[in-house]
Amino acid sequence: MRRPPPWLVVVLVGAVVGAVFAAISTYDFVQHLDRQVHSLHCSFIPGVTHGAGESGCQVAMMSPYSSVFRTHVWGGLPISLAALSVFAFLAFYAIDLAVTRRKDDPRATGFLALATALPALTSLVMLVISLAKLGTTCKLCVCIYLASAVCLVGGIALWRRAVRDHRGGEVAASPRDRHRGDPAFIGTAKTGSSARLVAVGVPTGAASTGFLAAMFGAGVAFVAVPIVLYLALAPDHARFIGTCEGLPHPADGYGVMVRIERGAAHGVPAVEVLDPLCPACRAFEQRLAASGLAERLERKAVLFPLDNTCNWMVTETTHPGACTVSEAVLCAGDKAPDVLAWAFEAQDRIRDETKLDPSAAARIVKQRFPELAACVGSPDARSRLNKSMRWIVANNIRVLTPQVFIDNVKLCDEDVDLGLEYTLSNMLERHARGTLAVAPLEKAPPAAAPAVAKPHGGAP
Amino acid sequence: MIAVRAALLVVLIAIPAAMTGLWIHAADARLTETSAAPAEVAPVASASDVAYCNPELKRILRRVLMSCGLVGGNAARGCQPVQAKNVATMSGHDFNALFTPMKDRGGIVGFDKDKAELDATGLGLVDQVFADQRGASWFFVVARASPEGSVEHNRELSKARAEAVMDHLRQQFKDPDLDKEVGMLWLGAEFAQLEAEFCAWKRSSSGACSPEQLNRSAFVAWIDCQL
Repeated sequence: MRRPPPWLVVVLVGAVVGAVFAAISTYDFVQHLDRQVHSLHCSFIPGVTHGAGESGCQVAMMSPYSSVFRTHVWGGLPISLAALSVFAFLAFYAIDLAVTRRKDDPRATGFLALATALPALTSLVMLVISLAKLGTTCKLCVCIYLASAVCLVGGIALWRRAVRDHRGGEVAASPRDRHRGDPAFIGTAKTGSSARLVAVGVPTGAASTGFLAAMFGAGVAFVAVPIVLYLALAPDHARFIGTCEGLPHPADGYGVMVRIERGAAHGVPAVEVLDPLCPACRAFEQRLAASGLAERLERKAVLFPLDNTCNWMVTETTHPGACTVSEAVLCAGDKAPDVLAWAFEAQDRIRDETKLDPSAAARIVKQRFPELAACVGSPDARSRLNKSMRWIVANNIRVLTPQVFIDNVKLCDEDVDLGLEYTLSNMLERHARGTLAVAPLEKAPPAAAPAVAKPHGGAP
Repeated sequence: MIAVRAALLVVLIAIPAAMTGLWIHAADARLTETSAAPAEVAPVASASDVAYCNPELKRILRRVLMSCGLVGGNAARGCQPVQAKNVATMSGHDFNALFTPMKDRGGIVGFDKDKAELDATGLGLVDQVFADQRGASWFFVVARASPEGSVEHNRELSKARAEAVMDHLRQQFKDPDLDKEVGMLWLGAEFAQLEAEFCAWKRSSSGACSPEQLNRSAFVAWIDCQL
């Protein structure tokens, strides 16, 4: 058998590499359907684990760009699954071109070039989103981008070569020359030349429209089958809604709730327990903003700084300066949303500087908001912050941030990242129907217990 | 040839589909398993209950708080010297000793002789101590008087001092829980007079710490105990 042309091999290699990285990415995504925290594979070497900490892969996966249809299925449909399918199709089609000897056919190779353009264009869009929106890149994604580029280069080069060869052949070969008794002879290289063009193997002819349509259909099947399977098998997360406690005493008797949104908000009442210097709270804000669901909420915050200089419930200062910044938010009155937004932006700097110098947070706050200087650190501000934490005690809230309560029903902690859009939109729908309520989790019936021998002399 | 191509098509479609199906199945199995088991969750927010809150202190505290109208639905506000003595069922020295672990959580607000008005430094100390509530559930105001004057007058004077602190707290902090968390005791000069060791506490008076000056005061402190 003739060796396949190098550019076809390039496409095949690119498709296989892309499929491997897309599969790893899909695996990482699917793991999270169990609502637990998992380490991610985040390396240029396939299969190497990065760990559960913050990485480009973590940021990318938790971002709203990692999946689609997020309000319809928990976590959404990972785009890496579609990428895996497309790469699998490219591998199939490249092998098929080699098997059917259509690798020199401009129509068949043109279709390949078009097919490789799909992951390449998607990769380009995702790269721009990564850099512009997320401010980071994930190594797995970069490998997929590179594999897409390799496929595109291979596909275009193969197609151009096929077109060039085809034009050359059309000029040289004439129907008269094809009947000289040599079944492999298809013409002379040049009129009058003694050099002959010989087709090795049995030519199959130009790809018909039917062939291309069949391949298009195959491509659709490659993408549709895993997606349909995913949608059919994905666990039902709706049963967890309302099972994560609620607010027994939601009234703001202490007057400690502050508005989060700058403008007037009209929507379902929501309370967010947050620490202005908590990275997870900032990330939640970003995810909520990207989801577009924030507009349907009327959110208020209750401050819960994880800083033991004011919070007796934590043994160490998780977020240095959080008490001071929380006081500033409470002192700001109507401008609390501005102070909160600023705190989210400047939180890394505030935490870092306060770790070295405990007075840094107050200095930074007073520099940025001189009008709050008299209030921050005052007994009144400290007392208000204390009341904020007493509201939290009265409501039996867990010591972690962020926590979100939609009309007094908690959005489960497992639903604040990947499952945010699905769960929140579900909760809003239930609220609209008047069925949103705290309810115990209905557990699956236990499996039949194995027979255990009673110990001798045991109690009856 | 067609059979080979069809087989290739099926295999290459099946591989990602089967992998995804297996991964989802595994995640679903873990989800069922973890939702059946008790979850490891963060602790629930709660009020402070620090090491010095031993059963003896809690017993006394509960009796004082019930008798002084803070818990148990008693409408009375505050404890008078006789009540305090009876409720505490201990000597004045032992009663004061209960408060010694709260040195960093309290202060002694001084008054001028035969006066019940808080001065600026006194107000400042009350604000400072009260604002530093942290996780404490109870705030004690224990007012006293120096021995000059009659027993009756000293009772009234110490009551007026306790009420001055309470009025200021009510005005300054507008705390809806104030009546549920502030316990007032006025002891006149009859019971549990402060001794020299309390000179080391935060005081609003900067002058010499004589027993008379020390007891012309309202002792204020947060108690980090849960009952």
